[in-house]
Amino acid sequence: MMGKLLRVELMKIRRKGFWFLTFLGPIGVVALQVVNYSVRWDYLRTLSDDHWLFYLENVSGFTPLALVLGIAILTSFMASIENETNAWKQLLALPVRKTSVYLAKFTVLSGLLFLASVLLCLATLVYGLTLDFGGGVPIIELLEYSFYPFFAALPILALQLWVAMVSENQGWPITVGVLNVILTYSAFSLPDWAFWKWPTLLNSWEEPMYSGLMGLGVGLVIYMVGMMNFVRRDVK
Amino acid sequence: MEYIVETKNLTKKFGKETAVEGLNMKIPRGEIYGFLGPNGAGKTTTIRMLLGLMKPTSGSVHVFGKDLKRDKLNILRKVGSLVENPSYYPHLTAYENLEAMRKIVGCEKARIHEVLEIVGLTHAAHKKVKGFSLGMRQRLGIAQALLNRPELLILDEPTNGLDPSGIIEVRNLIRSLPRQYGMTVLISSHLLSEIEQVATTVGIVSKGKLIYQDSIESLRRHSQHHIAFRVSHGERAWRSLMAAGIKTQFQGDLVTLSDQTDDATVATAVRALVQDQIAVYRVEEERRTLEEIFLQMTTKERAV
Repeated sequence: MMGKLLRVELMKIRRKGFWFLTFLGPIGVVALQVVNYSVRWDYLRTLSDDHWLFYLENVSGFTPLALVLGIAILTSFMASIENETNAWKQLLALPVRKTSVYLAKFTVLSGLLFLASVLLCLATLVYGLTLDFGGGVPIIELLEYSFYPFFAALPILALQLWVAMVSENQGWPITVGVLNVILTYSAFSLPDWAFWKWPTLLNSWEEPMYSGLMGLGVGLVIYMVGMMNFVRRDVK
Repeated sequence: MEYIVETKNLTKKFGKETAVEGLNMKIPRGEIYGFLGPNGAGKTTTIRMLLGLMKPTSGSVHVFGKDLKRDKLNILRKVGSLVENPSYYPHLTAYENLEAMRKIVGCEKARIHEVLEIVGLTHAAHKKVKGFSLGMRQRLGIAQALLNRPELLILDEPTNGLDPSGIIEVRNLIRSLPRQYGMTVLISSHLLSEIEQVATTVGIVSKGKLIYQDSIESLRRHSQHHIAFRVSHGERAWRSLMAAGIKTQFQGDLVTLSDQTDDATVATAVRALVQDQIAVYRVEEERRTLEEIFLQMTTKERAV
């Protein structure tokens, strides 16, 4: 059942710009550093001894924002596919479980975001190598900075999907999306428990992994709550 | 009798408002059940409950003799539906729309071409639905409903937006389904004329309550005949018929015979008129249309 639904979801996201956005996000984040480093590499090299690490930090400065923006846009696209002609009633009158439909949507979205993370990792590595920092590539840190934000952003994805899936008025998901972006933008002034801060991987323990783990845990909880709410609701 | 659909005291409330109240619907196998009612009477809400899209506030739905609450997926496997406006993905082609559905219902690919052929959309199979006319979208909706070879087909206002020839095609299609494929069909409409031409059983719903449920023949029996004569001199004709012992009413040049409408009386009346040198322009049978009966039933309900 899940396999079929996933294939159907992948079919439905054709020609909607999903793939384009998935590529645009990570490429854009690295492109900013391309500009940054080509304009003032001479200055930047004076700021730190460990050029690779400094470069990774620079890249990751924009990762959370791109991720949360991507979540808002992809999720609202995803919901609009069904909402446009109220295809919910057609889809859910088929022999499918509502939980499976919800899971399929979540899986496709998180799959796209994970793919974006892979691309971020590759793009970061490739451009980093062209800069000739010297010394070995800090593989562990590269992976951490590429993939922890994805896990740390899962609560935001789960929340956004929930709102998008149950709202008849698409104003709500847009509002939530804007709030998510603003809160992520002001992550530095947020307390540790606010999950908008987590994609920045900053926390008082100074351990990026905690942000990722908390994201995974809380993301799952919000996902479950959202799914149960979706199942309980009548289809309009 | 075997009922494909049977609801017991089906009730749905939205907050304080009751949309459907104590509905006992019975659809025998192989029937075309016309589900009639004015707009907002609760037809679509009922249909949504039959498809498990909405949960009843109270009461139960049995389809194919199984409880919808417990056997939802097994039931839905054998049900095809078109609820209100057709739903589709406009950025996909007609073929892709059906393919997305086929993947879930699991029939063979050739079936897509079959249903496109049935609804006459073969030529537009690979065009995006975005550019379809209302009628073509409606046809696609019907194709979607037929895709899984359902045993129960639920069509909510299926002729919406179709042109006259399209309406006739769809009507013929619906009529042929029970015979050819053994389907049971539930078709809803607010237009009695639409239902009258295809349905074998009728359920009339008004204000959330089922106020009539029986065969279309018994509904027809409610309709009375009139014979109207259009003549050259209305009053003279009325007198002449009175003299012949036939009671009529007249209005202008129209004389109406309403109590006895058997062939012999009509023949006598015509003879009397001709003998009295009154020109007879038209002899017409007027039925009190089902439309009127329907209106009467639903307004009576409203007055209560």
